[in-house]
Amino acid sequence: MVEYRNQFALIWRHLNKVRWLILSLVFSLLVLLPFVHVYQTYLAAHAYDLLAPGERQLYDVMEALTAPFVDDPAEDLDALKGSTWSGRLFGLKLSDPLAAASQLAAGLTFYSPFLLTALIPLLATLVLGRFYCGWLCPATLLYELNTNLGILLNWFGLRTGMRRFDRRLKYAVLALGLVACTVSGSVLVATVYPPAILGREFYYAAAHGGLGVGALFFLATLLFDLLVSRRAFCRYLCPGGALYSILGRYRVLRIQRDVSACNDCTKCSAICEFDLNPLRDGFGQECNNCTACIAVCPTNALSFRWRVTDIPNQGSGHLSPRYRREQQSQGPTRGEA
Amino acid sequence: MRRRAFFRFLAIGTLASLAIGRAWAGAQRLGLRYLRPPGALPESEFLSRCIHCGQCGEVCPNRCIKYFGLANGLGSLDTPYIVPREKACILCMKCGDVCPSGAIQPIPRTVEAITQRVRMGRARIDKRLCLSYQGKTCGVCYRACPLPDLALRVGMLEQPEVLDGCIGCGLCERSCIQMPHAIRIIPDLG
Repeated sequence: MVEYRNQFALIWRHLNKVRWLILSLVFSLLVLLPFVHVYQTYLAAHAYDLLAPGERQLYDVMEALTAPFVDDPAEDLDALKGSTWSGRLFGLKLSDPLAAASQLAAGLTFYSPFLLTALIPLLATLVLGRFYCGWLCPATLLYELNTNLGILLNWFGLRTGMRRFDRRLKYAVLALGLVACTVSGSVLVATVYPPAILGREFYYAAAHGGLGVGALFFLATLLFDLLVSRRAFCRYLCPGGALYSILGRYRVLRIQRDVSACNDCTKCSAICEFDLNPLRDGFGQECNNCTACIAVCPTNALSFRWRVTDIPNQGSGHLSPRYRREQQSQGPTRGEA
Repeated sequence: MRRRAFFRFLAIGTLASLAIGRAWAGAQRLGLRYLRPPGALPESEFLSRCIHCGQCGEVCPNRCIKYFGLANGLGSLDTPYIVPREKACILCMKCGDVCPSGAIQPIPRTVEAITQRVRMGRARIDKRLCLSYQGKTCGVCYRACPLPDLALRVGMLEQPEVLDGCIGCGLCERSCIQMPHAIRIIPDLG
C-alpha cells in the first residue's frame, strides 16, 4: 500500500466546526443589528425616561452589549449596518455579486460606486468558489438545521421528502430572474433570495414589529426542503447559488480525493448537502467548499489542494480489487496527487 | 431532447416573467400617497437602482422609513417609503450616505444642498381646514418646519404660506393639529 500523507488533515477535519461557528456568528449578528438600530433611535431621541418598561429593558441590554466596543454610541454604532446582501463594515461597503448583477439588469446602467462594492466578494468567489453558500449565508444555517430536523424526524419514523430534480434548474431561475429585473425595472431577484429576505425580515421584526411577504416565502422554502426534497432551494432554485457556481467554476481552492486512502465508505456523498459526489471526484462547479465531507471522512482521504480543475473520476479506493490490479500494472506512482 | 425541454422552459418562463413584470410592477396604486426618502431619484430610476437591502431604514434615527409590502405592486416590494402623517423625515441625510446603489443620493447636510437637491414633494395648505385661516391663530406647522422662511412663511394670524424652498420633509403635516390635516405633502415622485 502506498504511504499516504495528508499533513494538514488535522486542520481540514475541524474546518466544519469553524464553519458552523462563522455561520452562527453571522446569523446572530444579523439578528442583533436591528436591535442595535432600535437602541440608536432611543439614543437619538434622548428619550430614556419616556420609554416603556420593555423598551427600557432593550435599551439597557443593548447598552451593556455595545458599550465595550464604542466610545460615542450615537456615531460609532453606524459602523456595522445592513446584511450579507449589502452592508457596511467599518466604512467598507460590501454587496452581494447577485445584487450587482440584478441591479445592472434592472437599470441597464453602470453605476460604478455600487458595482465596486461587489468586487471583493467577486474576487473571493473566483478563488474560493461558492464559499458564500456554505460559510456566510444566514439562510444556510437555517437550511442546514432544517436538514438536521429532517434527519431527526426520520429517526422517529416520519418520512421526509427525498425527491431529486435537475440541478441546472437554478441557472434558469437566475436567467429568468435577471430578465424579470429588466422587464419590470425593479430588482425583483431580491424578493426570492433567502439571505436578502432574512436580512430584511429580521429588521422588520425588530423595528416595525411584524414580518413582511418575504418571511412567508422563506417559510415555504423551509417546508419545501423538509417535505419534498432535501435542501431543495439551494440545490435547485437559488439564483445566488447559480451565480456563485458559475463564478466559482474555475476556483483555485478545491477539495480532492486521494484514492490511495479512500475506502469507498460513501459517507462523503451521503453527507453532501448539495447532492454532489465526492466519492467519485464529482465536485464540479457547485461545490461550496463547506468541508462537511472532509469532516466525515474516516480515512482522511479528502483534503484541500490548489488546482483549477477537478481530477477526473479516479475510480474506487484502495480496498477494491480494481485499484490493486491497476496499482500492480501501473507501478506505485499512482495515487500520489 | 433535454436541452430542447430546457430552452422551452426558458422561453415559456421568459414570457411568463414578462407578463408578471408588466402586470405587477406597473400596477402602482394611484391613491397611495407616500414619499421616498430624501435624495431619492425619480421613481422609475429609483426602482431600478434600489436593491431592497433595507439599510436606509436601519440608519434612520427617527425610524420614519418603512417598507412596502404588496400594497404598491410587486416592483415596490420592500422598497423604502415615508408616510409623513405617521412619522416625518428630519433631514439627517444618513440614508443617502448608507445607500450602496445610489438610489438615494448622498447629499451633504447643509441648507443649500438640501434645498437644491432634495425633492420629496411639496406642502399644500387647505385653507378651508387650516385653523389660522379660520380665525383661530395656530402656527404649529411653521414651528415644526426645519427650513422656516425658506419653505414656509407665516403672515397675519400665523396664516401659513408655502414657499419655493419647500422640499416635502413632512414635518408640518406630522405636526398639524387639525384632523383631517390642513397641510399635507403632495409627493414629487418624478
